[in-house]
Amino acid sequence: MEKRSFSKIVLALAGLLVGLVLAVFITGRVNPSASQEGASFNFSASNTGVADEVVEAALKTYVPPGKLDEYYLFASGGHSGNVFVYGVPSMRRIRTIPVFTKESSVGYGWTAETKEMLGNFTWGDVHHPALSETNGEYDGRWLFVNDNANSRVARIDLDSFTTKQILGPIPNIYGPHGAVFLTPNSEYFMMASRFAGPIPFGKYAPIEKFKDEYYCVLAAIAIDPENGNMSLAWEALLPPWSYDLSDAGKLVSDGWMFLTSYNTEEAYTLLEVNASQRERDYIVAMNWKMLEKAVQEGKYKEIGGAKVIDPRDVPGSTYLIPCAKSPHGVDVSPDGKYIIGNGKLSPTVTVFSFEKFMECIENKDFQGEERGFPIVNYDKVRVAEVEVGLGPLHTQFDDQGYAYTSLFVESAVAKWSLTDFKVVDKVQVHYCPGHLCAAEGDTVSPDGKYLVALNKLAKDKFLSVGPSHPESMQLVDLTSPKMKVLFDNPVDPEPHYAQMIKADKIKTFEVYPKDEQLEGAVYKKEDARVERNGNRVNVYMMSYRSRYYPDVVEVNEGDHVTWYLTNTDFDEDITHGFAICLYDINFEVQPGQTEKIEFVADKPGVYPFYCTNFCSALHQEMQGFLIVKPKDQQ
Amino acid sequence: MKNLIYGRLNTTGRVLFLLSAALLIASLFFPWWYMNLVAPQYPEGLPMTVYANKIGGRIDIINNLNHYIGMKEIQEEDFPELKYMTYGVSLLAFLAVLTALLRRNWLGLLTAGLGSAGGALGIYRLWYWLHKYGTELDPQAAMKIPPFTPPMIGTNQLANFTTYTGFGLGGYLLGIGILLMVLSLWRFRQWDEKSSSSASLPSSS
Repeated sequence: MEKRSFSKIVLALAGLLVGLVLAVFITGRVNPSASQEGASFNFSASNTGVADEVVEAALKTYVPPGKLDEYYLFASGGHSGNVFVYGVPSMRRIRTIPVFTKESSVGYGWTAETKEMLGNFTWGDVHHPALSETNGEYDGRWLFVNDNANSRVARIDLDSFTTKQILGPIPNIYGPHGAVFLTPNSEYFMMASRFAGPIPFGKYAPIEKFKDEYYCVLAAIAIDPENGNMSLAWEALLPPWSYDLSDAGKLVSDGWMFLTSYNTEEAYTLLEVNASQRERDYIVAMNWKMLEKAVQEGKYKEIGGAKVIDPRDVPGSTYLIPCAKSPHGVDVSPDGKYIIGNGKLSPTVTVFSFEKFMECIENKDFQGEERGFPIVNYDKVRVAEVEVGLGPLHTQFDDQGYAYTSLFVESAVAKWSLTDFKVVDKVQVHYCPGHLCAAEGDTVSPDGKYLVALNKLAKDKFLSVGPSHPESMQLVDLTSPKMKVLFDNPVDPEPHYAQMIKADKIKTFEVYPKDEQLEGAVYKKEDARVERNGNRVNVYMMSYRSRYYPDVVEVNEGDHVTWYLTNTDFDEDITHGFAICLYDINFEVQPGQTEKIEFVADKPGVYPFYCTNFCSALHQEMQGFLIVKPKDQQ
Repeated sequence: MKNLIYGRLNTTGRVLFLLSAALLIASLFFPWWYMNLVAPQYPEGLPMTVYANKIGGRIDIINNLNHYIGMKEIQEEDFPELKYMTYGVSLLAFLAVLTALLRRNWLGLLTAGLGSAGGALGIYRLWYWLHKYGTELDPQAAMKIPPFTPPMIGTNQLANFTTYTGFGLGGYLLGIGILLMVLSLWRFRQWDEKSSSSASLPSSS
């Protein structure tokens, strides 16, 4: 009897224990944040000396293996010519997309198509990525970026994360810094010159004639709504000021384009000083719908192959809004009602009302004109000058009616209200933020939640790599009343701007579809072949794990070789590379894809080719020989 | 014995034959047999599904991988039965309907007999192909493995691949269809004219 009650007690205790373990487990499942709090508490109890809030921040950015990030972040790679793709909140770099620069890891710049796209330039200066929009929302189809150095723009298709089109150099535009900024339905994106110059390209005019013979332009690049194909629609002539950034109106202000300007002083030397003299420069407001109509009516001149319109010939299309001082970014609020000029050399952002701007136009309430453009009455159109701090550059928005402005000089981000225009919070960042990027932060419905500060300096933040320090991106949490820096991420030069899109808006494909009509494609080894026509040789090669057909290709010295390679592994993630030793040839073919290269076989001898992209256990055996028969032995 | 050949089916028997015909036709739209290869780099599995008239699934990838061990390429052209099985099953279904209409035991026996023989042949052919593919390996293959015959139903481990095999819905429909015919012939017949007059009863057993 005693024995039985003893075992009953043991059983009951064991049952309790199991119940408790289950309860803890289930609580963790039902309410993960509760178990996270617990985890952070336990962690700080250790002797690592890490503060609770740091552990909490780390947990907020931790994305466990097998789980995916919530957002894609597309960051410009500056003069690297690339676009970098990160996952948010983990801040892990997922991909580098080469745009204006050759990239051997993917063979970008060696295939016939990409080589032609890159043209004669070997680099570009990527500044402002812009996601395509439908009704003012990101639609996840394309990403456009500008090349500030060579007046080009590129389109990246987001179904494959590859650059598919490069347009330019766009005529008459020197340094399109004020790009790429899309209209709410991706009808156009606008580009504005940073540098004034004589037009068209190549024209000479002495620098002393700056005021009379140097011009800037606003270029409207039309986007084909079906395939994203970019084409130059028209250009508008502008005074030789420097146009910094731009933004399109939305909702109530749709149809307008706003450009910040500096150097309205029209100086051409020592701009640091000479372009910083005036207390106010301008936001140039242009009605692109009126200009578009005028172009359709034929009110343009051909300059350098572009349809160029003088906005002064289209009364009512262009106005100047005074803005303090050398304004950098201009950002339209999500509801389209406010235009926000960021002061750069003034510790303020100036908030303008679109409604009042329209009233000024209607009532002809102008305070003068410059270069034939009416200047709207500053006191009327301005609704607030918000003292945000030193060096405001850019503003982004959240879903709660707040704006976030980067303060370059102060190394901080200021949060301020769009209702009473008061600063409510500030957070320090390291150091010198340029652009900010909030989750879907320049659409008509920002998400809030996250903000990334793109910092120009990261001094002492990471292991030393010598004199060239990495730049940095910092992830800021917007979900609590006080902004918190969650994560520091070292990045390659140089982040300018970024855009953050909800991950589920992007639909990629994994394997190229089989297409028997595709130029050069071969899907059966029986069809793989080498064809000669005079001194032109076509190679139709196919590959699959772990072979090439054919694997010996003989050509004559001096032959012009067109080489197609099809990857017939229609299998996710099975990429094959292709490199010809000593021939400076390297590219890769994605599953199902056919790529093409062209070269002149000008070096006789034997040149092995091989798979550069690890593909299978017998990857090392995936090779062959290009044999170039010398001229004297043919 | 005489009864077996000259007897007639009762109402239940006829319904079962009709049902059997429906199941046979339905089986044409579902896989009869499947194989699924799972490996660490293929957690989602590489399925191969055999229908009455085609092979579905990710055959191209399976073939690509099979060449490492020297397995012959699996292609529809190599399976002559794929060309005929639809007709065979349709004919069987037709005969089953005919049996239900005419109620003749001998016709039912013929149908069920053909069905059973076909089923047995099918299972033999499946084993034959599994055996052939698993044992007739190219001696020049990169990876040498002992010849093997994957089970018709069950699992098989080969290098990093676990292979799961089994009959699909179509296969089961087909099997049940044939079983229904046999069941009908066994239990649901009328023995003489007398019981035939009282055939309104659901069952004569």
